[in-house]
Amino acid sequence: MLLESTILQVLAAALSTGGDFAEIFAEDTSTTSINMINGKVEEGVLGRDFGVGIRIFQGTRSVYAYTNDLSPANLISVAQEAAAALPGSSPQETLVLERSTVPNAHLVKIRPSDVSQARKVEVMREAHAGAQGTDPLISQVAVRYHDSHQQILVANSEGLLTEDQRVRTRLAVQAVATKGSEKQSGFYGPGRHMGFEMFELINPREAGKRAAQIAATMIHADYAPSGRYPVVIHNEFGGVIFHEACGHGLEATSVAKGTSVFAGKLGEKVASELVTAIDDGSIPNAWGSQNIDDEGTPTRRNVLIEKGVLKGYMIDKLNGRRMGMAPTGNARRQSYRFAPTSRMTNTFIDGGTSTVEEIIGNTEWGLFAKTMGGGSVNPTTGEFNFAVMEGYLIENGQITKPVRGATLIGQGSEILKKIDMVANNLARGQGMCGSISGSIPADVGQPTIRVAEITVGGRKGGN
Amino acid sequence: MDLREFKERLFALGSAAGLGDMEIYAARTKELEVRIFKSEVDDYSLSDVVGVGFRAQYGGKVGYAFTERMDEASLQFLVEAAKANAQIIDSDDEIEFFPGSPAYPEVETYNAALDDLSSEEYIDAALRLEQAALAADSRVDLVNWALTGYYSEEVFMANTKGLEQSYRKNFAVGYVSAVVKDKDQIKTGHRFRCVFDWDELKPGELAREAAEEGASLLDADTVPSGDYRIILRRDVARDILATFAGVFSAEAVQKGLSLLGDKLGTKIAAGHVTLTDNPLLPKAGGSRPFDGEGVAVQATTVIKDGQLTNFLHNLKTAKKAGVETTGNANRGSYKSPVGIAPTNFYFEPGTASFDELVKELHQGLIIIDVQGLHSGANPVSGDFSLGAYGYLVEGGRIARAVDQITVSGNFFTLLQDVAAVGTDLEFGAPGGGGNIGSPSLLIKSLAVAGK
Repeated sequence: MLLESTILQVLAAALSTGGDFAEIFAEDTSTTSINMINGKVEEGVLGRDFGVGIRIFQGTRSVYAYTNDLSPANLISVAQEAAAALPGSSPQETLVLERSTVPNAHLVKIRPSDVSQARKVEVMREAHAGAQGTDPLISQVAVRYHDSHQQILVANSEGLLTEDQRVRTRLAVQAVATKGSEKQSGFYGPGRHMGFEMFELINPREAGKRAAQIAATMIHADYAPSGRYPVVIHNEFGGVIFHEACGHGLEATSVAKGTSVFAGKLGEKVASELVTAIDDGSIPNAWGSQNIDDEGTPTRRNVLIEKGVLKGYMIDKLNGRRMGMAPTGNARRQSYRFAPTSRMTNTFIDGGTSTVEEIIGNTEWGLFAKTMGGGSVNPTTGEFNFAVMEGYLIENGQITKPVRGATLIGQGSEILKKIDMVANNLARGQGMCGSISGSIPADVGQPTIRVAEITVGGRKGGN
Repeated sequence: MDLREFKERLFALGSAAGLGDMEIYAARTKELEVRIFKSEVDDYSLSDVVGVGFRAQYGGKVGYAFTERMDEASLQFLVEAAKANAQIIDSDDEIEFFPGSPAYPEVETYNAALDDLSSEEYIDAALRLEQAALAADSRVDLVNWALTGYYSEEVFMANTKGLEQSYRKNFAVGYVSAVVKDKDQIKTGHRFRCVFDWDELKPGELAREAAEEGASLLDADTVPSGDYRIILRRDVARDILATFAGVFSAEAVQKGLSLLGDKLGTKIAAGHVTLTDNPLLPKAGGSRPFDGEGVAVQATTVIKDGQLTNFLHNLKTAKKAGVETTGNANRGSYKSPVGIAPTNFYFEPGTASFDELVKELHQGLIIIDVQGLHSGANPVSGDFSLGAYGYLVEGGRIARAVDQITVSGNFFTLLQDVAAVGTDLEFGAPGGGGNIGSPSLLIKSLAVAGK
């Protein structure tokens, strides 16, 4: 994407003032998005994102500039303009770039660009049919298909020059069930760091069915009772609870500034000893995986919490400087339009020893949150809020009837301590995580867990 | 390659490839953002990017493509991609490109003085945000966000039907979040402001408000679960309106995704509720002279004194409904296809000041922040269940802070339950989905889950 001579000139311009580190991130990304509503393709967009981001550090100060005019003259001028924000001077050393290659752990068999739009639409039609055929109350089905092929180059003044390719494919189904004037919706959106061969693993018809079943079940549901009581959170996308309530607090972005509840607590017990939590950006072909992070550091498996004890954080270069710790391969960004920062990749609570049957059977009364919706958290206070997309009452150790409209609220660090049962059925689900460096693909995950007590907001009076 | 030259060559190439009518929507954005942390410039970013969205008729359908690279290869890519996409479209909607309106309104969207400010002014203002927040209350432990920014956009549209129009807009923003600590309690207070005149930013005032709000939330406790009379402060009412704004789009109506589909001409809200979309407001984030299809804009009353009077339309939905477009065609960016979105979309202010609303509330809760709008709200059913905090009001006065509660209700019921409307109309951050505003609203009843 860029000539080595241009890279060297730009890095030199970036360090012409007070900067002590400079980095170039170049990106050329092709994307396909197709929307189908009620079985009809409404829109298809093919696009090309293209640009360069230049970042300069002076100690822990950081400047970022981006542009999509990649002419050497413009890039040098952008680097100079950015450098002007860091007054001073730094010794100019002769820079030599050393090309580094990380073996590709995420093999792609069928590149999206080799698949016709018509074939992509066929998969969507199957998903639509799977959803539509599930229940007569299904009134609307929206199917989205998305693929992207991102080619990146990272070079920095430490001499690094590396490249990576990320191919991602995702199918998302939203089904709406209607009964009288009431509507309920269900969603399922599997994705992988792979090409069109994803559909050898994921049956689009089943994906459609899964979204529709949630809607068709919840349309018959009564409102969930509000109050504080035990909640069993199912595996896979249930991991969003850990992602939102704890994961964000383990990102160096909030730890370095001391604004996270987990700051300064390495080695301390922060969770029930049943909890081991991992972030692993190297899982082959997982949605949140990539060979290197967006600063060029290879991704790896990072243990965050081991048997309840805080073991590590997710760290990028800039916050690593602030914390005096090494980067962990977690620097990520949506595109060249964002400076990278520490983010999650595939983050999950590790499997335990109980079975799901034991957990439900041991719960006299509570909520079974089978499918979680999204959520959000205030990283400073740790207060979180999640919607339960598909919930059921547990009565006398048995799942009885569906309940809708439940929201789980509480404090991340508190919930971690209240996890009192962990099952052996670890699974991961896919999401898009939004934070200061943009919206990025991330896996959440966990086995089925029980939280002894959690505040449930619902429309129905207290229990 | 210059935009006009790019357009000429693209249209020529498309024509040779058998494409029918063609259109480009190009945007050039320039941004500056400064973040201060502990009196240092913690983050400084600047950008200048151009993108071109292309759409074209082929075989009676419309295909889309976009690029951020303005080179030879991209011309070819846009033509082929748009053609490939047109061929998969099933929708029978007839889409025509617009040749241009006879006249376009003069809308005040651009302030040249803002462009002349140096980056030092932005740094100084961000520093003042941090300093003023720290000075406002001794319990302010940290200012975790002190940010100022500049945003400008130039939009250029042209098509083979003869349309060729452009406009530019700019504004500046300030955001501050103060972390307040007292013993083992941590609370945050934050404020955002979007301005078109630099003098309106008033960083000192903004920071003071954020710090004072954070401090006011100390010693918060939950409340017993039950139904409460509630004031949704202007920013909360705005966020809720923004979440459900889609139900007023004719596209949602025609797709059966709006429960308001058959309610035109009927009373859907309390009598003092009037909801307006006005792209002509001077110095407002959602203002513009033409919409995403090149149609001259106009103001539209969506709810008039409680009665649903209009949906928001683009050319496609208007044709289907047999009405005129309201000029609400929207390109969220050059990457997005034409959709529908509001411009400056707001509940018209009422007659009660905020203090008067509190007196009128007498007994109940003021909600000043909600969390989980992207997950805990269902835009189809109107149901919402949101984490919230605010204050308990007893005898017409704020008695104490409240946290760890959820507020649940339904947007359509809420419209009917508006008991009073404040005078304090305020807009939020303008974005791809419009610029939404609201005054504070007094609501007869909402379900609260606490202890």
